[in-house]
Amino acid sequence: MAGAVGERLFRESSAETIDDDLAALWCELGQRGTPIARAVMSNLVVFRDRVAPPDGDLATVMADLPLDEVIARHPSRLIVIEYQAGSQQPDAPFAAGVGIATFGPESARYGVEQVIVRSACAEVALPSIVRRLTRGDLPTSVWWTEDLSAVPPLESLVTMGRQLVYDSRGWRDVRSALRVLEPLVRRHQIDLADVNWRRLSPLRRAFLQAGPGGTPLVAPGASVRIAHAASEAPLAWLLAGALMASSRAALKEPPVVGASEVGDAALVVTLEDASQRATVTLSASGATVAGPAAGSPLVVSIPIETAADAVAAELRLLSQDTELHAALAALVQLFAAR
Amino acid sequence: MTIVIFGGNGDLAHRKLLPALYNLHVDGLLPPRMAIVGVGRKELTDEAYREFAKDGITKFSRRPLDEQPWSSFSKMLFFINASIDGEQGLASLGARLDLIEHEGRLPGDRIYYLAVPPTLFAPTVKQLARARFVKRESSPADHPFARIIVEKPIGRDLDSARAINDAIAEVFDERQIYRIDHYLGKETVQNILVMRFANSIFEPLFNQRYVDHVQITVAEEEGVGTRAGYYEQAGALRDMIQNHLLQLVALVAMEPPHALDADVVRDERLEVLQSLRHLEGEAVDANVVRAQYGPGFNVGKPVPGYREEKGVDPNSRIETFVALQIFIDNWRWAGVPFYLRTGKRLPKRASEISVHLKEVPPILFNANPAARLDPNVLSIRIQPDEGFSLGISSKLPGPDVRPYPVKMDFHYGSTFGASTPEAYERLLLDVMHGDATLFMRRDAVEAAWKWVMPILERWAQQSDPIPTYPAGEWGPPVADRLIESTGRRWRGL
Repeated sequence: MAGAVGERLFRESSAETIDDDLAALWCELGQRGTPIARAVMSNLVVFRDRVAPPDGDLATVMADLPLDEVIARHPSRLIVIEYQAGSQQPDAPFAAGVGIATFGPESARYGVEQVIVRSACAEVALPSIVRRLTRGDLPTSVWWTEDLSAVPPLESLVTMGRQLVYDSRGWRDVRSALRVLEPLVRRHQIDLADVNWRRLSPLRRAFLQAGPGGTPLVAPGASVRIAHAASEAPLAWLLAGALMASSRAALKEPPVVGASEVGDAALVVTLEDASQRATVTLSASGATVAGPAAGSPLVVSIPIETAADAVAAELRLLSQDTELHAALAALVQLFAAR
Repeated sequence: MTIVIFGGNGDLAHRKLLPALYNLHVDGLLPPRMAIVGVGRKELTDEAYREFAKDGITKFSRRPLDEQPWSSFSKMLFFINASIDGEQGLASLGARLDLIEHEGRLPGDRIYYLAVPPTLFAPTVKQLARARFVKRESSPADHPFARIIVEKPIGRDLDSARAINDAIAEVFDERQIYRIDHYLGKETVQNILVMRFANSIFEPLFNQRYVDHVQITVAEEEGVGTRAGYYEQAGALRDMIQNHLLQLVALVAMEPPHALDADVVRDERLEVLQSLRHLEGEAVDANVVRAQYGPGFNVGKPVPGYREEKGVDPNSRIETFVALQIFIDNWRWAGVPFYLRTGKRLPKRASEISVHLKEVPPILFNANPAARLDPNVLSIRIQPDEGFSLGISSKLPGPDVRPYPVKMDFHYGSTFGASTPEAYERLLLDVMHGDATLFMRRDAVEAAWKWVMPILERWAQQSDPIPTYPAGEWGPPVADRLIESTGRRWRGL
């Protein structure tokens, strides 16, 4: 379904006229004679904790995120909330815009609705905006575009969705981010979807199968060191959590995680036990396992995936990623003990 | 033809009737010789009334006001100051109407629209009779004809509804009476019949063998606003359930009529109302939930609770929300629950009928108890976002066989590329054509009241606190329990 935007209609709107304005845009498209289908598989609520200048153009407010690419791949009613936290004013400012982006060839055109809201209401009032704008008969995902360690998710908003999508790659402080995720991990209410977690999939496959005779790589009594590039601490800790969750019995102690010189790689993992030593490297091309057996290194390729592909793939999941939950739970426990 | 609107300078005329007539004019659907006469107690010139109409059209018409059609439309508009009080009553109205019709060479066919409070229905009709404005029709083809349109509420209980109907029946024959339920004039509501009886795919499924349950929601985002005076005497059961929602139930559940004649269709709708299982005594408590909105938020802004609204008794026990579980005891629908809910200050304005089909057996793709497939749901969106959709499971593209819930969605706007006509446009046109299919017959109005009365009587006996729900939420938790206790849940809107 992926494709470039064919046409974009947009108009300023207001709280009272959002539905009417969207209907008018559909009529405008319908009057052109070329059939167009409305495509909507879910609600995607995109949260941004910032407010553009008062005269900022609502239509371009999210230009730095691949929103069109995401909704082209997984057509969702896109609801962008640009939120200024901390206001308790009864008449907090509100602005809205509505749009339709069209995709596909002329013979199979489809359109996706977009609603952009700029609000400075009290946090307790935020759900009333989301309830009004989402289609309740569809799954709702909240995409938290902020660094969770710096801007903790608003519980009132996040718990309205079935899924919280975020990207841990942007975390500046892993410990703080895990602290804010802890209640969500503990309650299992919401499906967590970390876009960064997807990058670990070749590495996790390697750990599962790269031992002698296709066995798990982590042998009993193994110690693990994870060296990471300066910007990849979250990924390194996610891997540590995954290993603790899947190989807790085998690990002598929790993996040691630290920044180091790793060349072009993102992570270099060293495993040692009484009889062998193995190195696993995660780079842009995939995961490479050197040792423990003699012979050529094992290479697990990494799927070619854009950021939009990754987010759209997460949106399509309708069930909990139990391995991610287990990894996060292990990390939460680890940090709590320290 | 002459349309005489009693309450011609009121809110209904301003917001709905005059814009609807204007749109009919733009579409070329009004008769070429036509007068629209507003009647009211206020002293207004024709010119002032035209300005009043222009303002209403500018603000509320689905089409922007265009000078060219407005110029010809405005010439049809007149205003007559008249009162129904006293012996003289409508004498001055008669003289002026005669003059307007004479000068416009109009044939004398008249439609009287009672856009006035229900307490004025009977006195107005009496004055019409006294002024000899009405001749009982012996045939629909009679000319000049006199027809009357009555707005809801028709009574506030069965007795008062009968009294109003009796008063009107003293002057007009039933075939001359058009009782409006504007919900029946909505395009999507009319489409229910087309969808059911013009497609072979749906009708075979509309019965207790395949349908698990039906939900009908009419949600209002607004609070009581300026209607507190009326609403304090009505409440959601009288204001919405007794008329709009029961009429929707009738349309969804009715048997196929053998013809599209007004009385044939209305007979079938009546049959459904007469088949509703009566709720009395404790059955009311078990199957009906009422609640009142408290303070909350609407699109981020704080809004007051019902009891804090202007004109509302601070101790009011009037319900602003009702949810019901009802059954239709006939062959087709035996055992199939219908869940109705309506309320003010809900998160959004949305009206929808959803027909929930039974689940597929718990084998193959539905074998995992932790991940049951969504049952198929046919949803008919009445407003906004008019259209309908069918929820089905489809394989998600990829190497795994993973079902994903998708929708086959028909959307009026993108398909037909035009805004759908307002309900009042269709209904006014039908009265002009003498087609009463979309109007309520006396027996249906009284059948609906008869069904509602035991609920009102039960509530009148109770003094325990009414549950509240925060404005901006989907009603009280007890409404969720009503449906969830059966293993179902309200459909998200």
